[in-house]
Amino acid sequence: MSADRTVVFLTGATGFLGHYVLADLLANPNVCCRVLLRPPIQDSTTRLRKLLGELGLNLSALIADGRVVVVEGALPESLGVDDIRGADLVLHAAGNTVFHTNGSSEPARTNVNGTRELLSLAAEAGVGRFVYVSTAYVCGAMAGHLPEAFYPTVPPVRNDYERSKWEAETLVWDWAKQFGVATICRPSILFGDGESGRASAMQGLYVVARATEILARAMDSSESADRRQIPLRILGRADATCNVIPVNWAAEHIVRLALHSSGASSVHHITNSDPPTHQEVKGWLEEYFDIGGGRFSDASWPLQDANHYEDLFYSLGNVCLDYFRNGLTFDSECTTGLPAGMRLIDGASFARCLKYAQETNWGRASGERTDFRSRRGGFDPAWYFEEFLPDAVPRSAVAKVEDLTAVVQYTIKGAPGGSWVSRFRNGQLEETHAVPCNLQAEFEYLLSYEDLVDVVACCRPLQDVFFHGSAEMTGDVERALKMVPIIGEFIKEFPVVGEKDSALAC
Amino acid sequence: MLSAAAAIEEGVRIPSCGRALEGTLTYALGEVRACALMAGPHPFLGGDMQNNIVRAMADALARRGVVALTFNYGGVGDSEGGPEDWPEAMSAFWRDGTLPAEQDWCEDTKSAIAWLRNSCDAPLLLIGYSFGCWTVAHHLQESYAQAIVLISPNPKRHTFDALSDAPVPLLVVHSDNDFTCSVSEATAWVDALREPKTRIQLSAGDHFFRGHEEEVTQAVLGFLDDRDILRDE
Ligand SMILES: NC(=O)c1ccc[n+]([C@@H]2O[C@H](COP(=O)([O-])OP(=O)(O)OC[C@H]3O[C@@H](n4cnc5c(N)ncnc54)[C@H](OP(=O)(O)O)[C@@H]3O)[C@@H](O)[C@H]2O)c1
Repeated sequence: MSADRTVVFLTGATGFLGHYVLADLLANPNVCCRVLLRPPIQDSTTRLRKLLGELGLNLSALIADGRVVVVEGALPESLGVDDIRGADLVLHAAGNTVFHTNGSSEPARTNVNGTRELLSLAAEAGVGRFVYVSTAYVCGAMAGHLPEAFYPTVPPVRNDYERSKWEAETLVWDWAKQFGVATICRPSILFGDGESGRASAMQGLYVVARATEILARAMDSSESADRRQIPLRILGRADATCNVIPVNWAAEHIVRLALHSSGASSVHHITNSDPPTHQEVKGWLEEYFDIGGGRFSDASWPLQDANHYEDLFYSLGNVCLDYFRNGLTFDSECTTGLPAGMRLIDGASFARCLKYAQETNWGRASGERTDFRSRRGGFDPAWYFEEFLPDAVPRSAVAKVEDLTAVVQYTIKGAPGGSWVSRFRNGQLEETHAVPCNLQAEFEYLLSYEDLVDVVACCRPLQDVFFHGSAEMTGDVERALKMVPIIGEFIKEFPVVGEKDSALAC
Repeated sequence: MLSAAAAIEEGVRIPSCGRALEGTLTYALGEVRACALMAGPHPFLGGDMQNNIVRAMADALARRGVVALTFNYGGVGDSEGGPEDWPEAMSAFWRDGTLPAEQDWCEDTKSAIAWLRNSCDAPLLLIGYSFGCWTVAHHLQESYAQAIVLISPNPKRHTFDALSDAPVPLLVVHSDNDFTCSVSEATAWVDALREPKTRIQLSAGDHFFRGHEEEVTQAVLGFLDDRDILRDE
């Protein structure tokens, strides 16, 4: 490192965690950041400006002062050695968080191939320090108290995401043996800012909170049911814990570890040493939403005999149950400095986060479109069908259309086009695959790429491109028509916004 | 004949059962020969007042001196109302193919007819497309309409007993390729209806007549001309 200035090459700056990391790096006046942003760069810069602005930083001024330099590129390709040359360290916070491999080969593409590429460029550019943001759940289904140590053999991972993070850790660890010093940071589940309650992404525990809100709303509109006696089975043990941490606290420790190296490679759990128990979270949720009655159960997912309230609750909440079931504990040096009795997440900070979430309509400020754009620049139908739908449908009203059982095909004509099939069962989007696959669709929508772009951006109703345009419905047309308003409601709830001046802006 | 002057479209609000519906009056400047209420397809099958047949009919009628009212049923577009618990209603519709809100949409059609009657002192025509055939037929008698036109009706799903209550000229337009009702079913159904009636079978398009709107509007205008409803003085 040069005597008076540290140059950090940062990836993932537009992420939930990454923009807090960037803000903390910049809080040190001796740090300059080279920030990798995905193309189109104007769009990513606009998003980063907004995120930093919410943390009180002015990106334009930082760029003008030379504190921030933006570099356009996407992993694993489109980066050159010159982009990294001259940096003192690489802080790799970019990651793909889908759990199961999709048609774009994520999460391995970004997490494994991307990390490999970055390591190779760092070696070539002579950068001898690599900080990798992994996850505490790289441990998979391991139990007990876990040490802050590299796992030399593959842990009992539960999904492709965990595996990809372990493979990336292995690449980083091996790189360090030859080229420098590696610092592996393993945060647990990120939650909102401990002070303001702010969050730019709402997964994990937020999904459970939102499911609770849905339940509370259902009770608001029910005259007969007792809101304090909801017959809900909560899958998990009352005394097990939710290892959630405030995003700002995680960023603070990642930056501390990045800027102060002991000179040897190391692994760090950025975890909560006094995490709330499920019982506590339940109590906080009940108090916040003014409901009660749920009881912990060792029934297993999916519930075969779910009642109406359980259907409502688990229409959103199944995704993260794995992470809220086990009673793991982690060795963590990070928490040793915490004042006695101070908890990272307590009832008050939890309520602040819920309040912020509600005020921003769970990450979708009212009247504003959610920025669920393509992960690779222009709008990408593969991303929409394979990543976005599986993520958003369970959180949408579609998941409550209990009788919706159908196998639907979407064929997008033109480039970039393709064909995908989704199976819905009882309102749940069970699977989506690129064609060819084994699912036999009952009906199909055929539309052009341009029409798809208009439809998903909520610029034009699907029925409009059918009745007044060139879109087609084939197979069981009546069912295809019945599905149209369902798709319409979904798109109203989760419109996709595009970059300025592009086809998605309307 | 009136020239094909561009039609004027005017947004209106129609009170219906304590809520406001969104509507559009389409007309051309000049002599008013009739007014027409256009009822569109089922909201839970993507139906709204922008539907290709609804729009094409309103434009074609306006060019022939008809003041045409199109509207959105409760809960569609900017119309207030609609089922309170949308997912539950959608679920029921997915399962049973019908839902209680259909009665509300039938009432909406009644309100739109009343609104048009109050706003326009000219002979009234009722025109329904698909689900709208059922809602207009339901109010035929009390509307004192001069004629009723049903485009792509689905007699297998809805009952049309109310047509017998008022023996005004009836036109049924259907396609020879409609997935909701085969030619033989449509023919048998129309045969059993009361007189006076006309059946026009088009071999263009299917239930939706996409790209064949002109053929549909020509068939309807021809029927109205034959009955001197739109003839020039
Ligand atoms: N969220 C959690 O609870 C949690 C817990 C433990 C560990 N982690 C880890 O923390 C890291 C950040 O997570 P997060 O929650 O902040 O994720 P996030 O909000 O989804 O952000 C991911 C970031 O990575 C960038 N990115 C993704 N794929 C990329 C690619 N192929 N090339 C370049 N940049 C790419 C994204 O850019 P765009 O903005 O352009 O998409 C974004 O800046 C990840 O490595 C994740 O595994 C997260």
